Amino acid sequence: MRARRRLAPRPNKRRCALPSLEGLLAVVRMHHPHADTSLIQHAHDEAAVWHAGQTRRSGDPFLTHCLAVAAIVADLGMPPPVICAAVLHDIDDTPCPAGRVTEHFGQEIADLIAAVRAARIGAIPLTALHLHTARPPTLQPTREEAVLAIRLADRLHNMRTIAFVAPARRYLVARETRDVIAPLARAAGLADVSRELHDLSSAALQPASTPSAVTTRMLAMLTLLLPTRQRARWREEWHAELAALPTRRTRTRFTLRVLLSTPRLSWTLRRAAFRERRW
Amino acid sequence: MGSLRMTLQTQLVLRALLEDPAKERYGLELCELAGLPSGTIYPILARLEHVGWVESTWEDPALHEGAGRPRRRFYRIAEDGAEHARDALARAYRGRKQPLPGWAARPINGGGVS
Repeated sequence: MRARRRLAPRPNKRRCALPSLEGLLAVVRMHHPHADTSLIQHAHDEAAVWHAGQTRRSGDPFLTHCLAVAAIVADLGMPPPVICAAVLHDIDDTPCPAGRVTEHFGQEIADLIAAVRAARIGAIPLTALHLHTARPPTLQPTREEAVLAIRLADRLHNMRTIAFVAPARRYLVARETRDVIAPLARAAGLADVSRELHDLSSAALQPASTPSAVTTRMLAMLTLLLPTRQRARWREEWHAELAALPTRRTRTRFTLRVLLSTPRLSWTLRRAAFRERRW
Repeated sequence: MGSLRMTLQTQLVLRALLEDPAKERYGLELCELAGLPSGTIYPILARLEHVGWVESTWEDPALHEGAGRPRRRFYRIAEDGAEHARDALARAYRGRKQPLPGWAARPINGGGVS
């Protein structure tokens, strides 16, 4: 886990270098010192061609996502063919012609990529999975294990970069990750991956920058001091102002000042209503 | 068109609104322009609105829905409110012993700093 954190850095920490082929090959060599990495280099070159010009929402080249996912998969002890499939897992979203992957990388890798795209992650049977990090290098993963490893790595990297995703989608992805994917990773024996997924999704579901329920409710209660017909307007107006304030401190200060000025506002509005009635 | 007591804060709010009379501004923006603490401006705005110097409307849905935030209440000086507001500010200014900060040129030698 420590090695993965070092070699597959979180892109939102801008100090870290972006994922690179060298970083990926270093992780592969750590787990498979004698492995032939030419296939992985080939996969990288192929992905670089077809994903050229595509960017992530973070603005990073799309290729960085392929490499980061592959580095996570490599760190799970997966053999080079699975790592190749990880590098190429989004190749179908590019103009790459059908059949090219089979032609260059063989049927096995092409089938694995297709299985990764088609798999419903919740439907993968967990009984046959042994995805713990200390797996012996000679043990070949089953198709299910390989699919799950790539899907989990994909989700982990997406969660690491979730800050760049629009709020509505971020919420949906984070909720699914916390409720379905993180428990699945734990059940598959990947406690570290599960913990990181859980932490990232929990953080995304409780952003610190939205108005808390307390301040919102407090402002709603303050409107009870106002004339009945005016309450909805001021509640909505203050709610919009609250949403424009950036920090909890400024929102609290705003709420307290509204609290102090509400009696005067109430008096102004009631006096105005009284005068209108008299005329 | 009614009349109202020109407190210092009211004058600051009117000045902020008169800076660009055609522009619509929301409460927090006005607070900032007038140099008042956030959240204290609403009774003043309610009073100005009641006497007819200021008018307020809800934000155009196309704007706030596009930005993904709740709609804001926008304030603008009313068409015939600008004249009243300027008159009232001028009267208040003449009646003051000391000018409001920023309204008159400061003494050249920076008097008051000892």
